[in-house]
Amino acid sequence: MKTEADYYALFEAYRAGGLADAERTALEHRLAADPALAQRLTEFEELTGTLTGYGRRLALRQRLAAIHADMVTEQAPRLDLAKVAEQDERGEQFASGQAPRPMLRISRTEQKLRAFWQGHRATMMVAAAVAVLAVFTTLLGLEMYRTSQQTSSSRNGYTMLRREVERIKRDQRSMNRAITQIDAGAPAERLNPGKFSGTGFALTADGYLVTSYHVIQGADSLLIERGQQRFRAETVFTDVAHDLAILQITDKDFTGFGRLPYAFKRGQSELGEKVYTLGYPREDLVFNDGSLSARSGFEGDTGFYQVSIPVNPGNSGGPLLDDRGNLIGVVSGRQMDVQSAAFATKSSYLMRLVDSLSAAGAGKPYNLPRYNQLGGATRPQQIRKLQDYVFVVKVYE
Amino acid sequence: MGKGQPSYTDEEFVAAIRRDDERALAQLYRLHFPMISHYVLQNSGTDDEAKDVYQEGVMVFYEKVRDGSLELSCQIKTYLYAVCRRLWLKRLAEKTRFGGRLDDHEPFLETGAEADLERAEEKERQLGTMAQSLDLIGEPCRSLLEGFYLLDKSMQQLTDEFGYTNADNAKNQKYKCLVRLKKLFFNQYQESN
Repeated sequence: MKTEADYYALFEAYRAGGLADAERTALEHRLAADPALAQRLTEFEELTGTLTGYGRRLALRQRLAAIHADMVTEQAPRLDLAKVAEQDERGEQFASGQAPRPMLRISRTEQKLRAFWQGHRATMMVAAAVAVLAVFTTLLGLEMYRTSQQTSSSRNGYTMLRREVERIKRDQRSMNRAITQIDAGAPAERLNPGKFSGTGFALTADGYLVTSYHVIQGADSLLIERGQQRFRAETVFTDVAHDLAILQITDKDFTGFGRLPYAFKRGQSELGEKVYTLGYPREDLVFNDGSLSARSGFEGDTGFYQVSIPVNPGNSGGPLLDDRGNLIGVVSGRQMDVQSAAFATKSSYLMRLVDSLSAAGAGKPYNLPRYNQLGGATRPQQIRKLQDYVFVVKVYE
Repeated sequence: MGKGQPSYTDEEFVAAIRRDDERALAQLYRLHFPMISHYVLQNSGTDDEAKDVYQEGVMVFYEKVRDGSLELSCQIKTYLYAVCRRLWLKRLAEKTRFGGRLDDHEPFLETGAEADLERAEEKERQLGTMAQSLDLIGEPCRSLLEGFYLLDKSMQQLTDEFGYTNADNAKNQKYKCLVRLKKLFFNQYQESN
């Protein structure tokens, strides 16, 4: 009985042709008759074939690696010694028949950079695109936010002077909280202070008021306040172009303001006239004075006066009176980039509006005050009489 | 001067490589390396990867030529390009980091490269198994078999090297080693199938 190793010796001799004729034919016969033996032979051949193939593969790999190394080393000196290389190349070309290739000379750092760029080009481009996009979105977003903030109250440096109460509300809340802590038993009066506030003043004794249009712009409901008195009011008419709004008090228990001490001036006022205003830029009535500095308003708008009164948000809709107590305008806004330039709608436009409303005959008739009771009185006297007719207009959206 | 014409034609290359002409192989290698290197570098590869892919491609070509089974229906350049491109795309897919961005919009070329590659892969696997088996078989079988089959040493040389008393002893040892290798090799090959 032969071992497998013996068979291998036999097969090797058979393949190498080292068997005598008789032995070979005997083996071939056996192979034909015995499939197990034939199987053994194919396995042997596959094994040795793979082994030699593996050997050849290793050798080839080494050869290629050598060729590659040659190629790399050959290129390096060729770059360094351009002249010599050129001559070399010519000689080499004849020797090997190989054409020279133009090669770029690249430093090691640049090579590394290039490899990095090649490898991460896509990623870097995406990153750059995202960065650019982020920057522009941020800038654009900020710009849009700013413009949206501005459009409500000011444009081109013109600021409308209605007061945002939100900030004050916060203060008040904290105050309320402090109060409730002091006397925990008493329920604190919770007042919704409204979103915006401005100033308004009486137009007639029976409940018409005037304020600026932008104060009541977008209002859901209006509340007129003077000291502890509060009245509900609604808008009767608005004039956007001249920034005017006429309100009417709708409370049932409202009886009337009493006789108005001032009169409305129908004509134009003179330059240099001393004027003053009352308003509610804070929770309290505030007086400010100055002079009439121009007979046109922002950007030459003839519907307005320019006055040199320092006004603040909340002054909007306040009455503008001259020395003799004539009402000559309604405070509307100011220009931010100019020193103390405030604007007020001319009373002549207010009168024209009232006249046209009376002519149309809608609602209650307008009984305007005819006589001015303030002429000759001193400022403090005038103001004492006036203050009952100037109100806070609170706006709820 | 500029880009000179290759001094071998494709047919001459094939003939020379079949003769095992070292210079022809070297020149073929140099001639087409820039193309593949450029392709791989353009497609998020490195210099080393380009070298690996190119050498593998050349190996496929070389072994086909040596087998005499090469039926070249296009230029060698096109064939190499097709083989290397497939190899590189496969590698990229394995890396998957840049998986989405493969530069694979080129028209399909009937180069026979696909089929050749499949066969080459099968062979690659076989050779890999062989390498593993040789690792497992242990000394002195490994050195003996490597000496005889891989390094083409004669039996006499091996007898001297390993200190066998005569060539027959060495031969017997070799056959025993072959039997062991056979078991290892076919077991592993079956497993990996």
